[in-house]
Amino acid sequence: MQLTQSQPKSFQVNTTSVTMLNNERWLVGLHILSAFFALFWGALMGPFQTFHRSPAFVAAFPNATMPIFSYYYQALTAHGVLNALFFTTMFITGISYYVTWRSFDRPLVGMPLAWVAYALELIGLVILFFVLLNDPQRSAVLFTFYPPLIAPPLFYIGLVLLVVGSWLGLLVVFLTYGAWRKENKAARIPLAPFAVMANYVMYFLASLGVAVEVLVLALPASLGLIQNTDPQLSRALFWFFGHPVVYFWLIPAYVSWYTMLPMQAGAKRVFSEPLAKIAFLMLMIFSVPTGLHHMFADPGISSTWKAIHTVFTLMVAVPSFMTAFNIGATLEIAGRNRGGKGLFGWMFTQKWSDPVVAAQLMGMLQFITGGITGLINASAQINTVVHNTSWVPAHFHQTVGGAVAMTYIGIMYWLLPMIRGRALYSKKMALAQVYTWGFGMTMFGHTLGEAGLAGVPRRTLSGLSPYLSEAATYWLNANAISGVILLVSLILLYANIVLTLFASKEPVTEGGYTVTKGDPTTPAILERWGLWIGVAVVLAALVWTVPFIDSINLTEGFQILRYSPAGPVPLK
Amino acid sequence: MALDKYERVWLTAVGGLIGSFMAALMVAYLIFDIRLPTFEARVDPANLNSTMFADLGVKKRGENKYDVVMLAKMWVFDAGKDGGNPGVPPVIRVPRGSRVTFYVTSLDVTHGVYVEDHSINLEIVPGQIARQSIPFNRPGEFRIICNQYCGAAHQGMYGTIVVE
Repeated sequence: MQLTQSQPKSFQVNTTSVTMLNNERWLVGLHILSAFFALFWGALMGPFQTFHRSPAFVAAFPNATMPIFSYYYQALTAHGVLNALFFTTMFITGISYYVTWRSFDRPLVGMPLAWVAYALELIGLVILFFVLLNDPQRSAVLFTFYPPLIAPPLFYIGLVLLVVGSWLGLLVVFLTYGAWRKENKAARIPLAPFAVMANYVMYFLASLGVAVEVLVLALPASLGLIQNTDPQLSRALFWFFGHPVVYFWLIPAYVSWYTMLPMQAGAKRVFSEPLAKIAFLMLMIFSVPTGLHHMFADPGISSTWKAIHTVFTLMVAVPSFMTAFNIGATLEIAGRNRGGKGLFGWMFTQKWSDPVVAAQLMGMLQFITGGITGLINASAQINTVVHNTSWVPAHFHQTVGGAVAMTYIGIMYWLLPMIRGRALYSKKMALAQVYTWGFGMTMFGHTLGEAGLAGVPRRTLSGLSPYLSEAATYWLNANAISGVILLVSLILLYANIVLTLFASKEPVTEGGYTVTKGDPTTPAILERWGLWIGVAVVLAALVWTVPFIDSINLTEGFQILRYSPAGPVPLK
Repeated sequence: MALDKYERVWLTAVGGLIGSFMAALMVAYLIFDIRLPTFEARVDPANLNSTMFADLGVKKRGENKYDVVMLAKMWVFDAGKDGGNPGVPPVIRVPRGSRVTFYVTSLDVTHGVYVEDHSINLEIVPGQIARQSIPFNRPGEFRIICNQYCGAAHQGMYGTIVVE
C-alpha cells in the first residue's frame, strides 16, 4: 500500500547539539537521575515480590524476607509509591522542561520556580523513604492508601510535596508557552509542547480529586484532627485522579513516539501531525470522566453512573487507536526508507539493534496486550471476572511497566549521554537490557494474568495463601521465573547508568531530535486552550457530581477505628 | 489537513469496534440482566447490632432462594453459626441450583469478596452494604477470597461455599 503524507516539506527538524546548555543540563539531568534513583529501589522490590508470591519459593526458603523494605506489604507500598508516583512524576517534570525548552527554542520562563519544584519533589522522595523504612507496619497502606487504612502523617506530606512540585512544573511550562506565544503570534504550537500542555491540563484537573482526599480526609485523620472519615468518598476522590494519572504517565511516552521516534527510526517526521493533536486533545478531555471503571465492584455507587463512565472509558481508547495508526504508518515509512519491501518487510528493517529505538518498539508491542486487556477491564460485566485479581497488575505491567517504562528507558539512553557529556557506556548491554525487559515483562504479564483468572487476588502475599488452586500455584511459580529475568534486566540497566556516569570515556556523538515548528495546516481551533479546558472541566463535572454526592456520608460519618495494619487491635 | 485513505478506513473500523463493544455491554445489561453492584444502603460499623448484620449466616428466603449475610473483618469472614467455628475460615452450604444473594459489610477496613469460578466480585467498603446475587448451578467447593488488601494477614482471609 502507498501511504501519502499530507504535510508541507518546510518542517524544521533540529538534531540538537550534543552539548546541552549548562543550566538546562543540571535541571533536566537531576530530574532524570532522581527519577531513575526512585525507580531503582521501587523496581528492585518487584522481582522479590514475584518470589514471595510463589508457593515453590516460599516452601524452599520459608525464612526469606524482602531486601531493604523487609516486610512484604511495606515493599509493595514502596514498589507502587516509588515507581508509579515518584519515578513517573520526576521523569515527566524533567522531560517536559526539556521538550518545552527545545521545541519552543527559547529558555524556560521561571527557572527559580523550576528549581523549587525539583526541591519539593526531592524532599517528598526523601520523606517517603524515611517513613517507609522507619514505620513499616503503619506506612504499608499501598500507593492507593484507601482510608480507613491510615498511614503516619509524613506519608501524606511527602506525597503532597510531590504533587505541589509537579504543579509548579506545570506553571513553568505554561509561562514559557505564554512568552513563546507573544513572540510567535500566528504560529502553530510544535507538537511536543502541545502534548505536554494537554497532559498537564488533564493532570492538574485530575489531581484536584486526590488533593481534596489527602488534605480534607486522610491527612487530618492521620494527624488526629478529625475522628471520622468516609471510605467511599475517599475512593471516589482517589479514582477521580487514579485513572487520568495513568494517561499522565503515558502521554510523555506518546510525545517520544510522535516527535522523536520518527527521526530516530529513519522517517522525516510523524505521518500526520493534526491527527496527533486531535488525539492529545481527546486524551485531555476523556481521561477524567472514566474513573468509576475502577469502582465497578463498589457498593456505594449507582450502576447507572458506572455505565456512563464505561462509555467514556471506551472513548478514551480511540486516541490510542489513532496513535497506533499514526505511529504504525510512520514506522512503515521509516522501514521502507531503510529498504523494507512488501507488505511486512518494513517491520524487519526497523532499527532493532539500536537500544533507543528497540526499547520503544518493545514498549509498543507490550502496549498491544496492555491495551486489549484494558478494554477487557473496562467492559463492565467482564470486569466482574477479573476485578482485584492478579489479572489487573498483569494488565498495568504491560502498559506502565511495559510501554511507559520502556519508552522512558529508551529516552534515558539518548538523554543521559547528553547530560553527562559522554557516550552510553555499552550499547550491547543496553540492547540486552531492552530484550530481557521486553521478554520478562511479557512473560510476567501472561503468567500473572493466568493466575488472576485462576482466582489469585492482587496485592497479596500469595506464597502464604492457604487457598490456592493447582492452576494458581503453577502460574505463580512461573511468574517468579519472569521475576528472575526482570531482575537481570534491572541489573543491566543500572550497571549501564553507573558506568556511563563514571566510567565512559567516549565522546557523545548523537543528540536528541526536536521539531521547532508546528504543522501550519493544523486547524486553529485545536489550539484554543480556553475552549478545550472548558470542555474538559464541564464534562468532568457532569459525570462526577452525582457519584460524589452519592458517596458523601455526612449523616453517619464513619468513625475511624484506628486499626494497625499489623493487628486487629485498635491503636487508640 | 487531509486524511489518508487508509486512515479513514482504520478510523471507521475503530468506530465500529468501539460501537460494537458498547452494544455488547448494553445487551449484557438489558437482555442478560448482568448488573453491577449498585447503591444498597449504609450502615454504621460501630452499631451493627441494630442492623441486618446482627443475625449473620445463611437465610432461606424461598424456593431455591438464599441470602448469605456476612461480615468481613481483619482477617476473617464471619458467617455466624452457619459458618462453623468462629475465628476460622467459614464453610457455608447451599443446595445446587439455588440463587444466593450476598449481603456483606466491613467492620474495619476495606475488604473484598470473590468466589472462585462465579461472577461475583465485591468491594466491601466500611459504612456500605455490598449486595450481589448469583446462581450456584454446579456442585463443588468454591473458595470465597478476600481480594482487597486489608492488612498484614490479608493473604489468609478466605472462606468456602459448598454447593451440594
